[in-house]
Amino acid sequence: MTEFPSTGEGTSEQGTAKGGESNPVGYLSGAPQAIIAKLTDSRFQKQVIWTIASIILALLVSAVIMTMAGYDAGRAFAYLLVGALREPGRVLQFATPLILTGLAVALAFKCGLFNIGAEGQLYIGSMAAAVVGFTISWPYLAHPILCLFVAAICGGIYGLIPGLLLAYRGAHEVVTTMMLSYAAIALTTWLVGPNGFWMDTAGSELIPQTPLLQDTAILPTIGGPYLHWGIFVAILAVFVVDYLINRTVLGYEMRAVGLNRDAAEYAGINSKKNVALTLTFSGALAGLAGGGEIMGTYNRFIHRWSPGLGWDGITVAVLGGNNPWGVLGGAIFFAALRVGGNAMQMDAHVPIEMVSVIQGLIVLFVAAPRAIMWMQNRGVEYVEWVKSEEKLPLDHLFGIISSLVGVFISFGLVSASTGNLLLSVSLLLVGVVAIAAFAIFLAKRRYILPIFTILSIAWLLTALVSFFTGILLVTVIAGVMGLLSITDLLLLRRRYQDRNIVKEAES
Amino acid sequence: MYAVELENISKTFSGGVQANRNITLRIKKGEVHGLLGENGAGKSTLMNVLYGLLQSDDGRIIVNGSEVRFNSPHDAIAQKIGMVHQHFKLIPTLTVAENVVLGMEPKSSKPTKSGLGTIVLLSAFSIILMGLFLPVEQALLGALILLLSVVILYHIFRMTNPSERLGLNRLGRLGFVLEQIGSIIATLSQNLMPIGYGDAIEKIKHIAEENGLDIDPMAKVEDISVGLQQRVEIIKTLYREADILILDEPTSVLTPQEVDELFVTLERFREAGKTIILITHKLREPMALCDRISVLRDGELVGTVEKAGTSPEELAQMMVGRLVVFRVEKTPAAPSDVVLDVKNLEVLDNRNLLTVKGISIQVRSGEILGIAGVQGNGQTELVEAIVGLRKLKSGSVRIAGDDITGASPRKVRAVGVSHIPEDRQKRGLVLGFTVEENLALGQQYLAPYAKGPLTLFLDLESIQNISQETIDNHSIKVLSSKSLASTLSGGNQQKVIVARELGTKPRLLIAAQPTRGLDVGATEFIHKELISMRDAGVAILLVSAELDEIQTLSDRIAVIFDGKIMAIRNPAETTPNELGLLMAGHESNLEEVSA
Repeated sequence: MTEFPSTGEGTSEQGTAKGGESNPVGYLSGAPQAIIAKLTDSRFQKQVIWTIASIILALLVSAVIMTMAGYDAGRAFAYLLVGALREPGRVLQFATPLILTGLAVALAFKCGLFNIGAEGQLYIGSMAAAVVGFTISWPYLAHPILCLFVAAICGGIYGLIPGLLLAYRGAHEVVTTMMLSYAAIALTTWLVGPNGFWMDTAGSELIPQTPLLQDTAILPTIGGPYLHWGIFVAILAVFVVDYLINRTVLGYEMRAVGLNRDAAEYAGINSKKNVALTLTFSGALAGLAGGGEIMGTYNRFIHRWSPGLGWDGITVAVLGGNNPWGVLGGAIFFAALRVGGNAMQMDAHVPIEMVSVIQGLIVLFVAAPRAIMWMQNRGVEYVEWVKSEEKLPLDHLFGIISSLVGVFISFGLVSASTGNLLLSVSLLLVGVVAIAAFAIFLAKRRYILPIFTILSIAWLLTALVSFFTGILLVTVIAGVMGLLSITDLLLLRRRYQDRNIVKEAES
Repeated sequence: MYAVELENISKTFSGGVQANRNITLRIKKGEVHGLLGENGAGKSTLMNVLYGLLQSDDGRIIVNGSEVRFNSPHDAIAQKIGMVHQHFKLIPTLTVAENVVLGMEPKSSKPTKSGLGTIVLLSAFSIILMGLFLPVEQALLGALILLLSVVILYHIFRMTNPSERLGLNRLGRLGFVLEQIGSIIATLSQNLMPIGYGDAIEKIKHIAEENGLDIDPMAKVEDISVGLQQRVEIIKTLYREADILILDEPTSVLTPQEVDELFVTLERFREAGKTIILITHKLREPMALCDRISVLRDGELVGTVEKAGTSPEELAQMMVGRLVVFRVEKTPAAPSDVVLDVKNLEVLDNRNLLTVKGISIQVRSGEILGIAGVQGNGQTELVEAIVGLRKLKSGSVRIAGDDITGASPRKVRAVGVSHIPEDRQKRGLVLGFTVEENLALGQQYLAPYAKGPLTLFLDLESIQNISQETIDNHSIKVLSSKSLASTLSGGNQQKVIVARELGTKPRLLIAAQPTRGLDVGATEFIHKELISMRDAGVAILLVSAELDEIQTLSDRIAVIFDGKIMAIRNPAETTPNELGLLMAGHESNLEEVSA
């Protein structure tokens, strides 16, 4: 197989061996040891490396997209980075609710459940926090704690409903949590609307929102106008969730039920209770996220205030590999993307929607690690094959390189063909075919000849189209690419024909 | 002449397990070749390499004299190799015919008119689209190109002759280019066609008749028995015109009668000149069927022997690497107090049919009660009802005086019942858990696995220490106690379960198929454990489909048929013949035999 997993395995063995030896001696240093063991675990390392590789790939692809759309990708990335670095407070403020909703989704997923409805639990939690925040007068310190507590309880109850439905009636949690989240958004909008109980009637314009929270209920900010104490709640939650999942009997039972319900029941674990509890905890975390935002950022409940924090929680959980610490990192990363995205829009004039594209690409690559694994394996195989050939297979190498270069050229030329739909489409087609050709070359499949034929014809057609539309640059480049491909095609064809003849002679 | 030659095959998995080490195996054309070895010896890995499911790190594969390289089972099927896996690869909701043709749905071999028509329509549609969205001159250009390509494609369609070789077309090099496109169009148009099952069904019927594999092609796979499902798998390979058949543990799921039928079929294949590779860990099968037998141990080939020149004892020794005692030594039982007392138990199965029809049994401390019976006569439901996994309709269950009728599984465990479940991957293990987490399963809330107030927290350190001890004591082969259970071989998974269930110091042990799918060495080990548990005063209820096992271990044998206990026999005073008749429900014969 490949180099990497074997070395990773080697270090993990050493790690555990060391841990075993020093165990009786260094009894006190239990926690650091656990962390070291975790860091040297090959599965963990592999996941981290894959995540980083996915992020890099996603950035590469989005660079191609930006170039295609005519933006300066280098400048955009520079401002993305600078924008995030110069406002760490904002980043953490954005990250606070994402950490909590990410934890909500990750916790449920660890226990085999998809809590798609974190958004709804978030709304219920934020509503509860707001109501407790403006109706009751409690002293400082106690008031915010009470609000957060109530937010968590209400979010939890809202998670318990689909939990009970799943445990006792078998209603699939994906459907119920999602539906209930729309219900929650509608319910809260009604509660703060003209017919609801908690509409703010003090202002001149009647916006569907609650009155401002009492001063005692507002979470104080830290070191600037944005970051509030909610971040500590979120980080505390990371510890708590990690401990709950991995070190308590309850977490063990919840995970067992999620991984194999039959085995859990056989072992005397009440699966219904655990399913309901899992979704309750998950809902409580989402509710906490909502409460924290209302008390730290918005200071009142405004209808439809959340920019999809619950849905983003799913993305964060995926990026974090459903590991609480991964969720922490993922949330901060996404928040940095958001904050940097603003700078990117202001200074590099790339629309902020690009950030959503990057986010989507990252999730795509993280959720499909097989794509990266495939490239890794095939790449190693290909290099070995090239080494094993007597003569350097120049025709093959040229084919693979020209299709890879073709991907970049074709996508890059799209911006040069502005205003001409036919040319853009044909360039895009060339790009897609080139990607396919690259993959097929890499895998040394038997479709090399037809796909390369199509690629060269596509290049020539593109040249023809651009000739008629009068864009000479594209005509020349596409024509050269097409002619080179055809030459290489003829060489390749001889290679495969010779093979066939040899095979025939053998038999 | 060899059908298959595997030369110097080595395979190491990413976890560092070396499954095959430099194995060289030659299989003659037309022979039945047995591949024997313990669990985890590398038999399945080797055959998966031959079938293209895995790629070896090293070595060559030669089929019928020419070297091949398999990237996927597709390549292997093209070389007429077929494989029947231990766990069938069938889709339960599809019919037999649909399952057989899966992956090679019958299509017409040439590009069809309607396929071409579809493409012409699609082109026309794109021309209209272009007319709608583009300036006039560009739209005209685009339409021209499209029309041109359609015309060219039409000519290709007329010229393409599938039998013609690459590039030898009249049109020379251009023709070759066009032909490549033509073949793509042909594939496209074929895939747009509906599947024609009529021919397939005829062909399946023909295959079935020719080989004596009676089957209804229109039946749904979920409705037919395991034996018939295996038959579908075999037909699947024949449908792909396999000449070399690999069967992975084909008998492990079959009833004795089905095994006999399978052997007849395989005999017929041998006469038809097919080459058969039989993977097994049982000694009886290769001795009955194979011409030559190769034995693997720890990923290495121990040797290949002719059947005529060997004996089960020799094979067992080759497999395990030491002498094997087939009979477990045991002293007479010393039963004392009644531990398990089941009275008039009635239980429904998943389909709400009465499956256990009034069973009363007692198991005393220090004895093994074996329940013999063909699978599906209520054993599963009986066991599940006792341990609280299944609601019972009527009757009572007592453990040493405690009434546990209808109690929860946790309560049943708490009064001292351990249970080795019959399906280890479904019930016995959480495959996504590590080995040490699995070893704590069922007692996770009790000291020493848990600590703190109300034992709310896991004691990870003591879990690890206890696990390490258990792994060493039971010689479970695993890289580390933190490896996932799913990475263990079947035998080692079973060892984890047995170790866990024996470790709870139970009063009653219910062992359902404790050695199913295990090799000689592991079976021997588990048998010894069961006997020593009995001698330590544990009551054991043993449910097994293996008559040998029941007879070897039990102090009393209860025969179950159709949800009722037919009779209880003393193993010393009964014969396999009598038990077999009882298992088949022959009550009348029973009186003659016992009289």
